[in-house]
Amino acid sequence: MSVNNVPVGPFHPLLEEAEYFNLVVDGETVVDIDMDIGWMHRGHEFISEQRTFTQSIYLVERICGICSTSHPLACVHAFEDVDNIEIPERAAYIRTLVGELERIHSHLLWFGLAGHFIGYDTVWMWAWKYREPILQMFEIISGNRNHYGMMRVGGVANDVDPNRIPEMMKILDMVEEKMNMIAKIANDDPVLRSRLKGVGVLTRQDAVDFCAVGPTARASDVPCDVRRDEPNDAYGMVDFEVAVLPNGDVYDKFVVRVLETIESAKICRQCLERLQTVKGPILNNVKEITAGEGIGRYEAPRGEVFHFVKTDGSNRPIRHKVRAPSYNNIPTYVASCKGIPIADALITLASVDPCYCCTERSLKVIDVNHDPFKVDLLQLSREKTQRIRREIHE
Amino acid sequence: MDNNGFFEAMSDKVGETIEKKLRYYFVVDNENLLEVVAYIFKTMGCRLSTATATELYQGIEVLYHFSHDKSGTYYCPRIIMPDKKNPQMNSITPVVRGAEWIEREMAEMFGIDFVGHPRKEPLLTRNNLTVRKQPLRITRVS
Amino acid sequence: MGWYNKRLAKSLWVFHVSASPCNNCDIEILDLLTPRYDIERLGIKLVGSVRHADVLLVSGILNQKVAPFVKRIYEQAPKPIYVVGFGTCPASGCTFKDSYNKTKPTDYIPFDLYIPGCPPKPENMIAGVAKLLEVLNG
Repeated sequence: MSVNNVPVGPFHPLLEEAEYFNLVVDGETVVDIDMDIGWMHRGHEFISEQRTFTQSIYLVERICGICSTSHPLACVHAFEDVDNIEIPERAAYIRTLVGELERIHSHLLWFGLAGHFIGYDTVWMWAWKYREPILQMFEIISGNRNHYGMMRVGGVANDVDPNRIPEMMKILDMVEEKMNMIAKIANDDPVLRSRLKGVGVLTRQDAVDFCAVGPTARASDVPCDVRRDEPNDAYGMVDFEVAVLPNGDVYDKFVVRVLETIESAKICRQCLERLQTVKGPILNNVKEITAGEGIGRYEAPRGEVFHFVKTDGSNRPIRHKVRAPSYNNIPTYVASCKGIPIADALITLASVDPCYCCTERSLKVIDVNHDPFKVDLLQLSREKTQRIRREIHE
Repeated sequence: MDNNGFFEAMSDKVGETIEKKLRYYFVVDNENLLEVVAYIFKTMGCRLSTATATELYQGIEVLYHFSHDKSGTYYCPRIIMPDKKNPQMNSITPVVRGAEWIEREMAEMFGIDFVGHPRKEPLLTRNNLTVRKQPLRITRVS
Repeated sequence: MGWYNKRLAKSLWVFHVSASPCNNCDIEILDLLTPRYDIERLGIKLVGSVRHADVLLVSGILNQKVAPFVKRIYEQAPKPIYVVGFGTCPASGCTFKDSYNKTKPTDYIPFDLYIPGCPPKPENMIAGVAKLLEVLNG
């Protein structure tokens, strides 16, 4: 069998962002994978040397649109870590509420895309339909569906209106009911199980060697979660559990995300109940930040977001380093893509939930297909689902 | 000094230390770097979060960030290279496989040469012919 | 070309080119296809190949690596093609104007319509589409 290179290149109809993969295939099996990134690189670390502390929060929000609250939260944690600044209790609950709502919205987005890749377009339409009330909740709290601008050093910028809390509780009830429906689908449907089980396995040793984070690591038996290891904001004051599964294949990554969404809805409900009783200010006015170094992190839907800042006593940071979770997770493709058939390549690449704009803070790539044979990865993925469905029903 | 026994075991290899609540920043020499990192990564079981490079008045400084997940503490070894024209240091990729991408990015943004790195190619600006070289250096190289 | 444009306006096929965006605009474009806003009732759908497209939706600042590829896509698209700049990034690149990697988008492709906003609300996007349809209908 001859070895061929299949470029999956910058602008592919299925990939939302530009990324260039070179899959080296031997017949039907993927043997190796090489990645060329840099299409989303916009130079955030260069620009942030010229912005003040509050302006940095707006800049950092626009690194990624899906994890739009995770980066500002990690950024204010880093600024507050330089001087060990405390925040008021009401601000802690509001920060946790916004962060967990974002986790629900990001996981529902991922379910939709995963369904679309396998060929279940109905799952795509339903998951995104039930995502709309969550975006409505964001509009009630902060005024915008996506880039909220809520975080400040020492607290938050907007308060939650107590008259609208019952409406928000009803929306959370609806989300929990629909998540139970999706969990039932994952358990009952035989085609989904045979499509996703045993595919794209990342072993525990590889997850530790590549320093993977987030649901990618938790599905491979590595129990790392920033919310439990270093509880800041209100995570020390609410009850929740962390889901860890042993196998490391795509099915486990799917189930970890379902369980996390259900836990997030519980955390949001507890925060809303406390906000009805806890009164007080929402912002501690911070006059200056002294010279020093600070590390801040937050558990985004994809893993641990890490910000490091170096200050010298003036009103802007001299060095601001951003590391998004996909930067550590994407190199694991080399380990999890070996030996899988090419029809499964797309769902394996998507199961890590890559966010290229966070990784390179850069751009998208298109496929310049100059190979003798062209292959449509989406078509192959859907044909495999049809084949399995026919086999099961015979 | 800390609850996990790091400073008792490695006290002779560690220089000036800054100690804050749950954060430890200490200076390490280039020769001792691989041994200290092997102790932190393999014996203590820490996870590498990332690494930061900064250009200071006294040279180029690289700071690694290792997270000890059970206690929520960060151990950060710091290496300072006083030669700004040709900064050079040992690479930790043979010990920690996850450091490959971050060292490639630091090499392309600051011009640092990592001795022993398996793949010295630019990461974010590969095949980008018109971009400025070493963009994060203050005295920009064009 | 008036009669041709009127037929085109009945069902526009859109190709999405994402040239270094932050992905927020991309997610809002996909949101338009989902049941709440449902732009497919106007006959608009997303296509996979640029050879089938009538409208190019460009989002993001065009960074130096991707800009020549975007120009190539514009040349591959069958004419007449309308280019819509989506979001504030191709219009002015406001947050990223100091970056070393930014280019001037109009050096590479001509733009016909801008929909500003960071990201633009779905209602704004539908209003932008309606303006385009009005121009096509004469």
